[in-house]
Amino acid sequence: MAFRLHWAGSGVFLATEVRVQLHEWLAIVTGTLTPGALIVFVAILAPELLPVTLVGALVYSMFLIGQRVLNEAAYVRIDHKLNELYHASPLSPEGYFVGIAGGMLVAYLPPSLVLLGILQILHPLDAVAGLTLIVCLLAVWAVSSTIGYVVSTLFKDMKTIWPYSALLTNLFGVVPPVFYRLGSVPVEWRSVVLLLPTSAAAVLVDSAAGLEPLTRTEATTAAVALAAEALVLFAFGIYWARRTARER
Amino acid sequence: MTDEPLQAEDVRKVYRGRIGPHVEALRGVSLSIRRGERLSLLGRNGAGKTTFLRIASTLLLPTSGRIHVFGFDVVDEPERVRPLIAVVPQEGKPFFHLTPREQVYCYLRARGIAREIARARTEEALEKMGLLEVADRLSVTLSGGQKQRAMVATVMATEAPLMFLDEPTIGLDPFARRAVWDVLRELTRKGSTVLLTTHYLDEAEALSERLYIVEEGRILFEGTAADAKRQIGGTLRVSIENGGPVRDLFRSFGQTVEEGTALSVITGPERIHEIMDIALRNRLSATVGPVTLEEAFLTIVGRSIDEE
Repeated sequence: MAFRLHWAGSGVFLATEVRVQLHEWLAIVTGTLTPGALIVFVAILAPELLPVTLVGALVYSMFLIGQRVLNEAAYVRIDHKLNELYHASPLSPEGYFVGIAGGMLVAYLPPSLVLLGILQILHPLDAVAGLTLIVCLLAVWAVSSTIGYVVSTLFKDMKTIWPYSALLTNLFGVVPPVFYRLGSVPVEWRSVVLLLPTSAAAVLVDSAAGLEPLTRTEATTAAVALAAEALVLFAFGIYWARRTARER
Repeated sequence: MTDEPLQAEDVRKVYRGRIGPHVEALRGVSLSIRRGERLSLLGRNGAGKTTFLRIASTLLLPTSGRIHVFGFDVVDEPERVRPLIAVVPQEGKPFFHLTPREQVYCYLRARGIAREIARARTEEALEKMGLLEVADRLSVTLSGGQKQRAMVATVMATEAPLMFLDEPTIGLDPFARRAVWDVLRELTRKGSTVLLTTHYLDEAEALSERLYIVEEGRILFEGTAADAKRQIGGTLRVSIENGGPVRDLFRSFGQTVEEGTALSVITGPERIHEIMDIALRNRLSATVGPVTLEEAFLTIVGRSIDEE
């Protein structure tokens, strides 16, 4: 079989996942708690940094959506064995992966839209900044969803998986300059954090929105790294979905 | 595409553990299923039934051997096999945050079944599985049996040409089990083929036209339930309460099975009078009944264990 992608049924499966998540609306709301709390602290302690924090909250929320893929894919596979129901059906493995990842994106997007609305009020984005934001957020979603899906396939017990979600979210969403400025990072570490998808996305949006300038080299490094990571990882996600649809 | 639902040749599976020994789950299983047939795989826990089912349904790769589903190789052509099959996984559960109606309908739609047909089949499946009353409740609120029925309804509604059901009636009450049996019979009347595993031997007997007994990854027996019973040297079982002092005498009439203080003798109708006569003379309570598939299963598998 050639490496031809089959998407039939993936839209329906995506809609199924959205429906599943919407029945748990409280989980959608509680997803905003961490960035929401940070926004409140910043609003009190350093209101001038609020736009940067809001951009960070958007990037963080998008990464968090990817980590929900980890939990959902693992739960569906380990607790419900529903992956077997779907893998032994015409729905392709790539359709299954994209269905879960897309379902989480659609279901958990509304809180991000609220954050975007607040950002637009406090610091309106022009078309270029808006487009940069959308592209960067999609790239973060692609990276995080793939990481989430791949990690979900590596374990046989939910309890083993839980810490990984928290670890990845903190490693990518809190430690690097997502909620704070690149300028606060020591110079010798800047080239490293520009390679991380979350901080790359945050600094690119900050730069496009005029919140923090980037040198041409920094902008190019961040953009190339983010684009490459998103494309390569998403392609790997599809490969991995196919590989793990059948155990060995 | 051929007309033969499933043809397996010398299928072997070795699970290679990173730590600890390799496990040989299948050791050369060959079997075939005819169109419209209901076939059961019987065996102890860990005998290899689920491994075989998972390989046949494209969920697991074999170490060697071939399985063809309607002529398509499950290893090389999984994308051609998958539209032709549907699977009830062992211990599978529906999405807890969907209702049974949503669960069945969404699955049918994901398989590419048109809206109107999916809607009609969903209602039909829910009705046959006795789920209409709870069709709009989230599955998380359903009982274990209702969840299991929702899984069976999801798969039966596909009307796939070949269905794999791994212990589909586990946890169901006798009425629900019979409802599943009726549905499976109807599906095969319509042309689907069913391969199931079960630990309920009455179910295998009531439902299957043929059965395979698997032990340690090998097929020990292939045939009908009646064939299996004939393998154990008699068609009748005489159960004697407290056979105590004359136990050895009974043993000369055929194979015996001891359960607590009771003794069962497997024998033919020609020797029943003699056995009953001894029982009565010794004032022992005795009953006569047909040999069950469970006794046949225990004997066939037991013989294999003894030989090992």
